[in-house]
Amino acid sequence: MKLQRFKEIALDGTVRQNPTFRLVLGTCPTLALTTAAISCLGMGAAVTFVLICSNIIISLLRNIIPDKVRIPCFIVIIATFVTLVRMFMEAFLPDLYDVLGLFLPLIVVNCIILGRAESFASHNPVLDSACDGLFMGLGFTCAITLMAIVREVLGSGKLFGITLWEGFSIAFFANQAGAFLTFALFIAIFNVCYNAVERKLKHRAAHKAVEAENKAAAEEA
Amino acid sequence: MANYVYSSSPHIKSPRTTRRIMIDVCIALLPACIAGCILMGTANAAYPTLGLLAFTHLAICCITSVAAEWIYLLCCKKPFKQIIAEFDFTSLVTGMLIGMNLYPTSKWYVGIFASIFAVIVVKMLFGGTGKNIVNPAIAGRIFAFIAFGAAFGGAMGYATPAGEIKQFSSPISHGSVTAGATPLQVLLGGATEATSTLTNLDLFLGTGVAGCIGETCKLALIAGGIYLVVRGVLNFRWPLVYILSTGLVSVLIAWIDGCYNANGKFVSALLGTKFVDAWEVFLPSILSGGLMLGAIFMATDYVTTPNTKLGNYIYFAFLGILTAVLRKAIKGEAVSFAILLGNILVPLFDMYIRRKPFGYVKPERKRVKKAAQEATAAKEGE
Repeated sequence: MKLQRFKEIALDGTVRQNPTFRLVLGTCPTLALTTAAISCLGMGAAVTFVLICSNIIISLLRNIIPDKVRIPCFIVIIATFVTLVRMFMEAFLPDLYDVLGLFLPLIVVNCIILGRAESFASHNPVLDSACDGLFMGLGFTCAITLMAIVREVLGSGKLFGITLWEGFSIAFFANQAGAFLTFALFIAIFNVCYNAVERKLKHRAAHKAVEAENKAAAEEA
Repeated sequence: MANYVYSSSPHIKSPRTTRRIMIDVCIALLPACIAGCILMGTANAAYPTLGLLAFTHLAICCITSVAAEWIYLLCCKKPFKQIIAEFDFTSLVTGMLIGMNLYPTSKWYVGIFASIFAVIVVKMLFGGTGKNIVNPAIAGRIFAFIAFGAAFGGAMGYATPAGEIKQFSSPISHGSVTAGATPLQVLLGGATEATSTLTNLDLFLGTGVAGCIGETCKLALIAGGIYLVVRGVLNFRWPLVYILSTGLVSVLIAWIDGCYNANGKFVSALLGTKFVDAWEVFLPSILSGGLMLGAIFMATDYVTTPNTKLGNYIYFAFLGILTAVLRKAIKGEAVSFAILLGNILVPLFDMYIRRKPFGYVKPERKRVKKAAQEATAAKEGE
């Protein structure tokens, strides 16, 4: 795989098509689990693992799976890995398993995973798909952990479970209404920054092109 | 051609600008603010600084609201001179209302966060004055209520001996502080005492009543409302409809309650014990809590009320029903939640109750049309 392609996939997964802030996929765990940063890291790790594995398998089988029954096939593959993760967590990380609860088996229907299987893994080579899974997972993990840090600090005065201060907390951010508000504000801020950077880059590229043209013209003269 | 001035509608100029209306509302709110501060300061001789605290809350909220709006506009790269020139006092009204919705014993930062939330999130992010879908002050109050709980509720506010606050808040008009019972609480069955020490006159004048700063003195609130009616800012019908429907529905609920005995068994519809003293239910339920403040100043916000007359009648009656029913359901004050729910439903009111277009003629009914056709057909047949 070329470096250029790798860079593109990495940038797509983490920023340009960030599953949480740009594609607005997988909102259910985003809203429900972002009260504690630790559980978000766990959730992110689980989703990343499932994404990488399912992307690899689906990419390997992309020429074998008939087009008409591809969704059930994807679901079977994804469910296999989710079950794996669930059993692993129940055995070795029982605390995290209890916190994530219902949202762990629900990874099966997480739109990010099915979406990547459908739009990327089913018509791209294996290595590309694995990279895509990794960076999509990273993008998701970073996004929900960032949200969780804000909500945890404001909502309960804690960070990763460590008490920062006592006696002051805005409980609004710890409950559901606060989840929606934080999510909306994060999407807005992320997109404002993204658009500003993109405009700057475009401007710079245009500037360079004009300069190059001028140079060429000067040389010709 | 060059002599003509082009401009889009509206073409009629009137002195009734947003700024003027909002200054009127500020003036109308002042008596209630002053009365609140004075009553809070004199309510307990052992704790005279309470009035000062109330005043501080009001000042903090006003300053934060206005500052939040200006900073937001500065962030939008609006020149400061233009901001000052176009300042329309809506954020000052929001700040005053939020301050009036706080308890004097609330912690000092509650007002700041509530004001910032109200102005930035509820008003400016939705597009500024006139574009907000819910009343910013109501949203700010509910934000403070959800976000700070005990720090908002008052009993554990400033560092003062606990006994003093308890003594002060013994007859309190809100359900949030436990000491003492209010007539409303007794009515709703949420109090441990059988009767309250407060009379209806106490509730009306605000003497010995704790609770939010702005809602203590109903007389001052009504005076402010009358000022607005005289100035043509407020239609007296809407608060009246709201308050009356709250009172009537409360009486109805009390009557239905009276039909059942203590074990929840149906006794008799006609012998409902509380039906006789309906007045005893009606007065406390309209004089208690934040109903007057909500009905006169918060529910009647131009932006968050329906556009039509019929829509407004239904809307305010609906608010009254909602208030009375929610009060009964949660055994506490529910005016702010009722208004918030109502505000969210306003677009629905405007969708189904439309203003009649000028020159509109009602289409003939089908049956009438058919009968007319048959008559003409019969005539032709002859």
